[in-house]
Amino acid sequence: MARAVSDPTFACGQVQGASGECIIIGRVRGGARLPFFFLGTRPSVSGIFSRADFIAGARDMAPAQLGLLPFGLVCGVGAQSAGASVWENLGLSALMFSGAAQIIAAQLIAAGAPVAVTILTCFVVGLRFLMYSAAMAPHLKDLPPRWRNGLAFLLTDQAFAAGIRRFRETGDMRNGASYFLGAGALLWMAWQGSCLAGFWAGNVIPASWSLDFIVPLCFLALLVPALEDHSTRVAALAAGIAVVALDALPMRLSLICAGVIGIAAGMITEARRGAR
Amino acid sequence: MSSTIAWWTVIIVVGALNFLSRLSFIAVFARVAMPPPVARALRFVPAAMLTAIVVPAVVFVAPGALAFSYTNPKLVAALIAVVVAWRTNNATATMATGMAALWLVQWLLRAAG
Repeated sequence: MARAVSDPTFACGQVQGASGECIIIGRVRGGARLPFFFLGTRPSVSGIFSRADFIAGARDMAPAQLGLLPFGLVCGVGAQSAGASVWENLGLSALMFSGAAQIIAAQLIAAGAPVAVTILTCFVVGLRFLMYSAAMAPHLKDLPPRWRNGLAFLLTDQAFAAGIRRFRETGDMRNGASYFLGAGALLWMAWQGSCLAGFWAGNVIPASWSLDFIVPLCFLALLVPALEDHSTRVAALAAGIAVVALDALPMRLSLICAGVIGIAAGMITEARRGAR
Repeated sequence: MSSTIAWWTVIIVVGALNFLSRLSFIAVFARVAMPPPVARALRFVPAAMLTAIVVPAVVFVAPGALAFSYTNPKLVAALIAVVVAWRTNNATATMATGMAALWLVQWLLRAAG
């Protein structure tokens, strides 16, 4: 175990495994190229874009949009009822581009929480992007900076799930990058549309439809594959108990505390099992 | 602080933090090894954070009011959605079944009186 943890290849493999995917990746250290890229030089931008893969990425993302449309509506309704202007609503969806953070920001601002607390809570909710970034990094490292920046901006839960699967299947940076761009770009555009629709027309949806339940369902669909072994299940259980036990804390600080407690519980469980 | 300034401070700072989180390993750490403690901690971020987001939205029927009972439609629907997610690993199917289960349980509870 000690050897495995000191090995960055294994570390990244573990991180990827947490998304429910099991991918064999190359070494990260020392700038060694991934063995399956077979590309001796850095290709130019025009040499990377593949129209067919871009369209395939956008097309494969279409079913996920069905679930994300109501999620976007809920975010738009949340921003509107928290007193945001249409530009602030657009800023939330275009720049934050994270449903969970948008909803929590709207709730906290509406409740009059200090800006610093709102920012900190949204940041902690977005910590999972660090993990997605780590899992994506080996696949994107030979791309030009402009591509890497663009794809990083489009890195969401759903685009990550679709993109990492594609990288694993094709093992080809060029195809995977265009596929990811297609999936992410469609997602971003559809997200702006659904958040705007929620902002303007969300109130026509009756409350009895309980549309906001789509938010926990969306994260449940991401959570279940992440519960891949005993340690991750302990982390989830500890976070779940903590978030309920600490619910009385003001300004949804229970969210941050529960996250930290869950991560600590997972790490302790893993360390104990490794030591045994 | 005026509300417009509060909104835009949050939008710009969180937007930048989200982008930097997304970019972190892709750009900065692309060619350096991830510190092992960071890798170990990151592995538990989705399990812990997603649970912390999901659980309150399911077990509270009103602010501060816990409901671990079949009369809480959200709890029943979420448990059904967990089974669907576990068996199919399909996000769209999970969300569709979860919503349908919620409506069904709400309707049954209303019909039962």
